Amino acid sequence: MTVLVVVVALVVAIATYLTWLARRLDRLAARVSDAGGGLVTQLVARADAAAQLAERCGLDELAASAARARASYPALLAGAPLDAAVELAENVLSRALRSAQVAAAGQRFPVELHAVDSGAARVALARQFHNDAVRDQRALAGRRVVRVFHLSGRRPPPGYFEIDDALPIREEPWPRLVEGSAYGADTGVREDRPGRDGPLGHDDRPGLAS
Amino acid sequence: MRIGLACPYTWDVPGGVQVHVRDLAEALLAAGHEVSVITPVDDEQTLPSYAVDAGRALPLPYNGSVARLLMGPVSAARVRRWLREHDFDVLHVHEPSAPSVSLLACMFADGPIVATFHTANPRSRFLTAAQGALQPSFEKLRARIAVSEAARRTLVEHLGADAILIPNGVAVQHFADARPLPGYDDGRPTVAFLGRIDEPRKGLDVLLAAMPALAARIDGARLLVAGPGDAAAVRARLEPELRSRVDLLGLVSDADKPRVFASGQVYCAPNTGQESFGIVLLEAMAAGTAVVASDIDAFRRVLDDGRAGRLFDVGDPAQLAATLAAVLTDPAGAAGLVRRGREVVETYDWRAIAERIVGVYEMVSGDRRVSLAST
Repeated sequence: MTVLVVVVALVVAIATYLTWLARRLDRLAARVSDAGGGLVTQLVARADAAAQLAERCGLDELAASAARARASYPALLAGAPLDAAVELAENVLSRALRSAQVAAAGQRFPVELHAVDSGAARVALARQFHNDAVRDQRALAGRRVVRVFHLSGRRPPPGYFEIDDALPIREEPWPRLVEGSAYGADTGVREDRPGRDGPLGHDDRPGLAS
Repeated sequence: MRIGLACPYTWDVPGGVQVHVRDLAEALLAAGHEVSVITPVDDEQTLPSYAVDAGRALPLPYNGSVARLLMGPVSAARVRRWLREHDFDVLHVHEPSAPSVSLLACMFADGPIVATFHTANPRSRFLTAAQGALQPSFEKLRARIAVSEAARRTLVEHLGADAILIPNGVAVQHFADARPLPGYDDGRPTVAFLGRIDEPRKGLDVLLAAMPALAARIDGARLLVAGPGDAAAVRARLEPELRSRVDLLGLVSDADKPRVFASGQVYCAPNTGQESFGIVLLEAMAAGTAVVASDIDAFRRVLDDGRAGRLFDVGDPAQLAATLAAVLTDPAGAAGLVRRGREVVETYDWRAIAERIVGVYEMVSGDRRVSLAST
C-alpha cells in the first residue's frame, strides 16, 4: 500500500514537473515569435526611413540596398523565417547607412537622418530582444529532460538573427549617455561587449557578453 | 497605454527604487498613460491614488543593507488580483531579483513584461545562488533595463543577460526653483552634503577631515550636513574649532531636499565607492549648485568627465579641500560648471527618461496583453 502511494505520488510529481516544463517552452516559443514579429516591424521601419532619405538626397547606393531589403518584407510579414538571405540584405543596408555619403547628406536633411538613426537604434534593440528570447528558449530546449521526453514537440530550435547593426558615429554635443536617437545610450556600452563584433555564429550567446 | 509597475520595497521607507518608481509613475501619468503601482507599504495612508497595497514587508539583510521583503500567501493573492483586475498592456517590474512583489508579479504574469535592474553588486552571492530558481521567472522578461553601467554589468555577470542602459531620471523642475533654507541666503561660502551621516561609504568622514584645511583657506567656510544618522556621535568626533562651522540638520523632508542644495555654493559627494549611479549629483546640478565629487566611475560619467563638476581622488581629504577652495574662490569657473551641469541634467529629466522607457514598452507590447499565467 505504502509503496503504491509513493509510486503514485512520484508519478504525479513527475507529470506535474513535465507539464510545467512544457508550459515554459510554450511561453518561450510565444516570446520568440513576438520578438521576431517586433524585429521585422523595426527592420521595415528602418528600411522605409532609409528609402526616404535616399530619395530626398538622390543616394543611389542607399536606394538600391533599401530596395533589396524591402523585397523580402512581404514574405517576412507573412511569417517567413529570418534566414541568412535576410541577414545578408540587412547587412548591406547597415553598411550603406554608415557610408560617408549618408552622413554628408544628413547635414542637409537632419530630420530624415534622425529618422534613419533612431530606426537603426530600434533595430539593434529589437534584435537584442529577439536573440535574448532565442537564447532562453534554446537553453531550456537543450536540457536533457526536455529532449528525452520530446517536450519541444516538432518545433525546430529558433535561430539567432545576426546582423551588423553597429550605429553610425555622428557628431553630437552630448554623446556619452544620451544621444540624439531614442536609444543612443546603447552605443555607449558597445566597446566592452565581447562577442559583439567577433565572428558570428561561433559564440553560443552572440551579441552578449558571456 | 495601461501600465502596471511593481515596486519591491516598502513605499513609505526612503529608498532609491521607491523614488524611481514614484517619479516614473508620475511622469507616465503626466504623459497621459494609465498607471497602477503595486508595492508593500507600512502605512496605507501614505499611498498615492495610483498605488495599491501589497501588504507589510519583513526586514531582511540584503546586499549589505537592510531590505524589507515580502513573499507570502496574502501578498501573492493581492498581486494576482491586481494583475487580474487591470488589463495591462505592459507590466514593468523593478528589481525582480529581490524576493518581493516584483518577483511575485513575474511569477504570476504572462505577456509583455519589462524589468528594471537597479542594484550594482559585483559579487552577489545571493544572485549566484538564486539564478536557477529565478530563471523560470526571468525567462518571461521581454526587455531588461539597467539604470547604470554597473547595474548592467552585474546583470551580465550573474544572469548572463544583457540590458538596455536607461539612467534614473530627475524631476528637474522640482529642484530648479528651490530657495536656500532660512539662514543660508547670506552668501557665506557653504558646502552642502546630503546622505546618511553614519554610513562610511557615503564619505562624510572624508569631508569632515577636509574641513580644517578648507577653513584655513577660506574664512567663514561652513558645512551643511543633511541626512539621518547619529548626529551626537558625529558632533563628538569634531574638533572643537570646527563645531561652529558644521551644521547637522538631521533628516530633511522631501520638500526641503532641493533647498539643501540651493543653500550651498558647492555640493560635495565624497562617496568612497559602491555607488551605481549619481542621482544626488544630478539633483544638485538641477538646483544650480556646483558639484565636487569623488572620482568613482558612476560619478565621472554623470559629471561628463569633470566638465559638469570637479572630481577628486577617492578618500583624499587634502585634495578635496583644495578642490572645494578652488571652486568657492572662482565664481566664473563655478558658473561654468553649473551651466554645463544644467545641460547634462536636461537629458535626465523624467519627461525625457519616461519617453525612452515608453519606447521600450512599445517595442515589446505588440498585440499581446499581460495575463495571468497558467501555472
